[in-house]
Amino acid sequence: MTKNKNVIEVEGRVVECLRSAMFTVELENGHQVLAHISGKIRKNYIKILPEDRVLVELPPYDLTRGRIVFRFRN
Amino acid sequence: MDTKPFASGLSENAVTITRVAYRQWHALDDDLVVGRGHAHHRPDGRLFVSIDAWHDIAFDRLAEVMVAKLPAPLYTVVDEADVELTAGWRRAGFTVRRREWEYAVSTDPRATGLEGVLPPSGVTIVPAGQADEGLLREVDRAIRHEVEATVGWWQSMPAEVLPHTEGDTVVDPTKYAVAAAPGRYLGLIRVVTAIRPRIGLVAVRAGEQRRGIGRALLAHALLTAHRSGFTTAWTEVHESNHAATALFESVGARPMSSNLELVR
Repeated sequence: MTKNKNVIEVEGRVVECLRSAMFTVELENGHQVLAHISGKIRKNYIKILPEDRVLVELPPYDLTRGRIVFRFRN
Repeated sequence: MDTKPFASGLSENAVTITRVAYRQWHALDDDLVVGRGHAHHRPDGRLFVSIDAWHDIAFDRLAEVMVAKLPAPLYTVVDEADVELTAGWRRAGFTVRRREWEYAVSTDPRATGLEGVLPPSGVTIVPAGQADEGLLREVDRAIRHEVEATVGWWQSMPAEVLPHTEGDTVVDPTKYAVAAAPGRYLGLIRVVTAIRPRIGLVAVRAGEQRRGIGRALLAHALLTAHRSGFTTAWTEVHESNHAATALFESVGARPMSSNLELVR
């Protein structure tokens, strides 16, 4: 887990693709969050699917939500 | 630094929009970063923006500042299923410019019906990495000129996000398989496999269409992916590109989602 400028970033694994362009992501600690993808990923047409390893940014005041900011290559 | 304060409806604290770089903004709420805005130019020269915010207030404030500071027209991309984000951009005055369907297509020739599909007589498929670079760039330029002369490349062809030098749009020649006739190329297909294969472009010279060359290129690309162990390939097709839609749907491609390009 990294924390930079009030941003918490955690690695996780995509468990499920939901409607409304949302994803269930299981974090390193086993906690699950409901995440959407960042604008940068969307603009670059990076496809997110179940089992993908991703980096999730968590909001400072609600740890049940998240934003996928990076997809790892393996 | 360029800072603009706002009164937040969700918090007693003020949301402050701060320009942290030339084309990058932060929304701060009590010193917490609650949103980010970013702008960058695509290789075709158009300016694309994105906003990541944790609530509507931050999104709207960022959009307001970015729209005021950046030159029009501005573009963005959203997943059509993301109703909340799409609504945010609509509030900022953006409207739908184009829609692309995202397809998943099986690579198994028994599922696609492409087993045994060959190019027409006199045409051969040159696998990726083996194409003559000069001929490849020549056919790429020719196809782009043909599209520009009709509807225009950026209005109908796949979005391109990798930078390239002016006049040379083939970023990595090893990603292209081509349909070849003696001394010249007739069509091309570009497949990029970062994690899973994505068909970024399939195109055939105007005078060579409706001969089965595009289908043969697709059969070759899917079979190559299949032999590499991939079960599915992905692609995006502009909704008005009926030929590409027909080609992919004829091999059983399934629409999975749609991307909207918005403009203001």
